[in-house]
Amino acid sequence: MQRERVYRYFALGALVLLAILGTVLPSGARSLMIQIMIFGIFAMGYDVCLGYTAQCSLGHSLFFGAGAYACVLSVMHLKAGLLTALAISVGSGFVLAAVLGPICVRLSEAYFVIVTAIIAAVFHLLAMDLIWLTGGDDGLCISVPPLKLGFVDLSLYQPLTNYYFVLFFMAVTYFVLARILRAPLGKIFVAIRENPKRALFLGYNVTRYKLIAFIISGMVGALAGGLYAVTLRYCSADYMGFYWSVLPVVWCLIGGQGTLVGSWLGVALMSLFQYYVSAWFTYYLLLFGVLVLIILSVSRKGILGFIASKVR
Amino acid sequence: MPEWAATVLFLLMNGLIWGLIIALIALGLTLIFGVMGIVNMAHGDLYMVGAVLAFFLLPVTGSFWIALAAVPIITAVIAGPVERFILRPYEGHPAVTMIATVGISFILQQIALATYGGIPKKIADPVDFSFSLLGVSYPGYRLLVAGIAILIILGIYLFLYRTNYGILIRASIQDRQMAAAMGINVSSVLVTTFIIGSVLAAVAGVLAAPISQVFYLMGNDVGLLSFIVVIVGGLGSLGGTLIAALALCSLEGVLASVLSPTQAKAAIFVVMIVVLMVRPRGLFGEREG
Amino acid sequence: MADSGYLLELKDVSRYFGGLVAVDGVSYGVKKGEVRGIIGPNGAGKTTLFNVITGELKPTGGRIYLNGKDITGLPPHIICEEGMSRTFQLTFIFPEMTVFECVWVGVYSRARRPWNLFFSRADRSGPIAEKAQQIIHTVGLEEKTHEMASSLSYGDQKVLEIAMALSTDPVILLLDEPTQGVGPGEVDTIINLVERLSKEMSIVLIEHDMDIVARLCHNVTVLSFGKMIAEGTCEAVSQNEEVQRIYLGEKIVCS
Repeated sequence: MQRERVYRYFALGALVLLAILGTVLPSGARSLMIQIMIFGIFAMGYDVCLGYTAQCSLGHSLFFGAGAYACVLSVMHLKAGLLTALAISVGSGFVLAAVLGPICVRLSEAYFVIVTAIIAAVFHLLAMDLIWLTGGDDGLCISVPPLKLGFVDLSLYQPLTNYYFVLFFMAVTYFVLARILRAPLGKIFVAIRENPKRALFLGYNVTRYKLIAFIISGMVGALAGGLYAVTLRYCSADYMGFYWSVLPVVWCLIGGQGTLVGSWLGVALMSLFQYYVSAWFTYYLLLFGVLVLIILSVSRKGILGFIASKVR
Repeated sequence: MPEWAATVLFLLMNGLIWGLIIALIALGLTLIFGVMGIVNMAHGDLYMVGAVLAFFLLPVTGSFWIALAAVPIITAVIAGPVERFILRPYEGHPAVTMIATVGISFILQQIALATYGGIPKKIADPVDFSFSLLGVSYPGYRLLVAGIAILIILGIYLFLYRTNYGILIRASIQDRQMAAAMGINVSSVLVTTFIIGSVLAAVAGVLAAPISQVFYLMGNDVGLLSFIVVIVGGLGSLGGTLIAALALCSLEGVLASVLSPTQAKAAIFVVMIVVLMVRPRGLFGEREG
Repeated sequence: MADSGYLLELKDVSRYFGGLVAVDGVSYGVKKGEVRGIIGPNGAGKTTLFNVITGELKPTGGRIYLNGKDITGLPPHIICEEGMSRTFQLTFIFPEMTVFECVWVGVYSRARRPWNLFFSRADRSGPIAEKAQQIIHTVGLEEKTHEMASSLSYGDQKVLEIAMALSTDPVILLLDEPTQGVGPGEVDTIINLVERLSKEMSIVLIEHDMDIVARLCHNVTVLSFGKMIAEGTCEAVSQNEEVQRIYLGEKIVCS
């Protein structure tokens, strides 16, 4: 599996690079890097849905926003510790995906896209409306509880701690997902992507496996949302907006869908683009739209997919 | 007539008229999907474009009705090249095309933001009379909108079911490959369908402008509702879309009397979920999605 | 429960599409170890019949039994588990997977357990991999084991299809025009393969080429406009007047 090796080396190299950069980068760049890592987690989860089982969901902002809110609300109201709050985030992703998934995954492609978009939009409306709970689009601020490691308490208000905390989760998520995708489940996912009817006739309950993929990507997306809220000490109804559903698709398309880690390239490019362009151009989203069109016309395999196909 | 009944009737009328406007938009959406297989995420923004164009054309032309006539032409001029040169290259890749329409959606919204501004504004009612129905006074413009919408829907029906070109379009909905094999100029059908669909949305926007506020993000809400309608009615089914639009909007209108607007919307959403659980293709949907 | 000694039995199976009758009251039985040919002109409903038998479509009427068990209306993946496998008219493989992986997926389908789904390694070793290698060897594709399925020749892809159908350990194999579109040299490969397989399992075969039918099949069922119009050995069927009329003078030669 030459291609798999390319992806693996890329991922390990990237993680090592990130570990080094943490100590080297100036604080502005470091903050940007933390965001990139969080989005990298989100993107990996989304790729399981899009790249591995060909389910193009436009509703993943639901998981991202829900994970953020689960984290913030459990800190605010349940006085949860940091890790507990993040666990609740992941749990919320699981619950939402497990409840909404069965409705969505048996829909055919176009219906799936639309319905996931509708569901996310409705939850966004609810979040905007239930201001007493969510703060609407003004949002909620929290003070982040310290990371209790038994022998020592670390505060995430220390930028370095925050950085390596997020990097830890990024690495763990990568290793867990990579393992799952190398296991039989991963092969079944790819089979379903390549030819769902064939997989069905080989004895696989395709809907059930699509649901598993959906749930995995929901849980990871929620984790990303929780980490984002923790890093910014803030979350708002905006996190459930359509923009956050479109971003993962763009990340995967640019970086390479079905590669798990190709999306990191997409994240890096888009984040850098946003960071620098939105500073001087108010209508940055206009350029975003144009960029999407350009990317789509150049390559649908994405950067990493393109590189890997050259390696044989 | 008792107070509550008058209110309900009023809301029902509102709902039906709004349903007719949504029907125009949803028909465009389902037509585009049915013939081209494209989920057009920018469709709601075409509605917004129609409204914004009306806003800009009013002072220029001095008449709402001239603006109403001009908007379809302008929309067609924009939509044609967009389909032919931006969307056509992705033909056969529905997911990619859909993301491309997302890109277009962002572009349209930002252009509107830059030119029209971020403040919601209102257009005055072009006609100023009231109609008295069962003791309830009803704004005349809205009835006019209903009349125009009905005329347009009838026109679309006649076009699709009574003209030769309409038959070509419907054949393409049934089976595009077969249509191409029979020598139908698929390219012209694609462009025409996209233009018709876009014009329907834009005209709906013009008609709706005096009723609701013109805002660069107004396409989002309406787009969401149109998608719900299209899903419930069944993608690709014209009759289903019409019925779903009228039913859902009337329902929302009536529910808004007892529930908050958001709750009413959530109720419509629940209806959609229930329909999907029973019929994953929508009530009348047939086409392979 | 039907207990008639047939491995696969159809009783009065029909399938309508609105007003169109695609399959009309077809009944037949396939015994263990039999090779049954299904022939008929284009549009006679042969593939639709396969679709109904394998669960892709629900029959509008009638019942289907596999090994005595009623499988009417069951979904395809359950029917596969019961021991029926099929190939498709157009090659229907996993393009971005290697030959090995394609077959592996099918073998794994029979052997999966919840606990090894997530974390064991889907690798080149172990009983599942061995079985996959065996099947690839049986069909004669060992040399191409690690090539991408999409890069195989059309004939090899057809063979791969058969391998994939075999991978789920079927008791009966439904082949939908396995030699269609395949070059002459490769046709022989496939015929030989089917012949070898027929010693181990029952086979139902849709075919247009009468020579192949004559060579491989014990019995033949003839469909026309969805109805079964003749059934029996190849010889008997070729004598049937109606069959001859349908094939419009094409000589059905049975050796």
